[in-house]
Amino acid sequence: MAEEAFTSSLVQTGVERLALLGKHAEALMQGYLGEEVDPAAFSESALKKLLAARILWQSDDQSGLKLSHRVRDLLAEMLADEKRRHVNAEVAETLEVLRNLVSAYQEALERGDYLLAEQQQLRLTQEIDDLNNRFTNAIDSLWQRLNSDFGFVSRLNDKIRENERAQKQIARLLDGLELIDFEEWIARVGNQGVLRKLLVSQLQIQVSSHYSSLREVQARLVELLARFRHQQARSLLVQGTLAFLREHPGFQPGNYARRSQVPDLVNLAAPLIPAASVALDQPQDSDQLAALVRQLPKPAASRQSVAEAQATRWPEDERLVARQRALKQEVENFYLEAIDCGSRLSALEYWQEQALQWEAEIWLFQVLAEHQGLPATEQAQLHLIKKEKQASDWNQVWLIEDLQLEWVQPD
Amino acid sequence: MTELGPLLERLLAGEFICQISDAEAYRRLQDENTREAINDYLRPLNRRLASNPEASVWFLAWRELDTSARDQLSSQLALTLNSLQPLLEWMQLVQEALGKDAVLAAGDLLKPAEFTLKCEDNASLKDRLQRLANDRFFNSQSDALDNQVKLIFRRLKEHGYLLQPHDDRQYYLVTSKVDYLLDLIRFIRDEENLPIEEETGQQEELL
Repeated sequence: MAEEAFTSSLVQTGVERLALLGKHAEALMQGYLGEEVDPAAFSESALKKLLAARILWQSDDQSGLKLSHRVRDLLAEMLADEKRRHVNAEVAETLEVLRNLVSAYQEALERGDYLLAEQQQLRLTQEIDDLNNRFTNAIDSLWQRLNSDFGFVSRLNDKIRENERAQKQIARLLDGLELIDFEEWIARVGNQGVLRKLLVSQLQIQVSSHYSSLREVQARLVELLARFRHQQARSLLVQGTLAFLREHPGFQPGNYARRSQVPDLVNLAAPLIPAASVALDQPQDSDQLAALVRQLPKPAASRQSVAEAQATRWPEDERLVARQRALKQEVENFYLEAIDCGSRLSALEYWQEQALQWEAEIWLFQVLAEHQGLPATEQAQLHLIKKEKQASDWNQVWLIEDLQLEWVQPD
Repeated sequence: MTELGPLLERLLAGEFICQISDAEAYRRLQDENTREAINDYLRPLNRRLASNPEASVWFLAWRELDTSARDQLSSQLALTLNSLQPLLEWMQLVQEALGKDAVLAAGDLLKPAEFTLKCEDNASLKDRLQRLANDRFFNSQSDALDNQVKLIFRRLKEHGYLLQPHDDRQYYLVTSKVDYLLDLIRFIRDEENLPIEEETGQQEELL
């Protein structure tokens, strides 16, 4: 009965103390983040309870109020706060507890005290669970740090230190696992089925799983450390070289290109631009080339180039304009003549008769241009008849041989 | 050989081929048979494939070094040496401005706009950027920070240290040519016995 009373009071106190954590959560979190907890945040009785529950502690009257390390650990674990999460590799202590519990269990069984034996078995299960949990948490914490590339610290040097710390933790965890001697447990539990299952078969599976996880993390950590060191080496190289170059502005290394053996790093061949041009020697390519030509954008005449062209032609301009004007004048005379004569007048004959200085072609062209420049009503009265001839039997181009102009009286 | 055509053209044009600049070409260069085929092709052009010690970048080297090749190498080396300081300054500036804990490495993504923003907010960074932009290597004529950054990124792209995956999008990838640059520096350090440390033991003194 005494046992039951003890258990119930234990439960009651536990519940009260857990509630304390919740009740003062905010003030306690300040203590987690800062150095000390502000005593003003608690009433006097609350402070007493927190101290009694070892949630807070004070080394002496003068010093401040601090969060106890267990609460800190609990929070770090709950928050997966990798900067503060501890890895507890203390296996020897647990093994000692397990040995005692096994002895107590066996003694209880011998005495026939099955109730006590059952309680001892429960404690054994809990202890083994705790041990497993510690390893699982430790491995989880290691993976978290690894996967974040130690992102919880910003500087490379800190990362390298954190990585080294993690590797030491792994070494301790592995040492801890080494302490578990299954020969010993086999001998200890004898033929007691329950214990054998707990301490031999189950534990063996769990331990080997922890073992392989730790080996895996270890390998990855070593890999990551190598990467960090590589990055650090690069940083130092850049910093060091810059510092050197700033100090020695005229630094001139040897000309490695003149050595008998030129190192590959310096041997950079001059660039070559492989060029190719359109070739028409392969008939099968012609369609493709024609398509390419069609795709070419039409050159857009820019205003600027026109202006430049005018500027360069300027010295000739006036003479040209004079000639143009003379030509236009003589074509107009031809038109007047055609109107006066009242019948068809050949431009070429007129040109011959007048012995005009222009080339026949230019003359005809101007006659044609003049006609096209007339308003539509006048064009209807002045008929322009083209005398044309096919260029040759195989060429459908029509050439103008002569132009005739005829004045038609309006109705 | 036709399938290697584009790769050959890039190599002949003097480009550095790495995982970032051309992943497919880089993958092909991992194959020794491909490398031999390329070398066979390059023989009459007096060129051969070469790489940095870790083989993270490939480029073309002269096969036989005649006088004109040596002249070309000498002047090229001089150009590279002149670019060392501005390039390293830039690497350090980017690292500091963006608050990175490591020197730029191949595959890092850089946004000029972000860099400009960080430099605008910090007088010392701004000052250093301005000096860097005016260096002969970058040769900026502009006083505007924005234009200076743009020019620096463009120049680095031209020199193959940066790759702009999309012409219309303003982000860049660092190519493995930075590895080449650091390898070259290591080489010079070792050749000239320069007092530049790479080991952790000395870091406090340097920092």
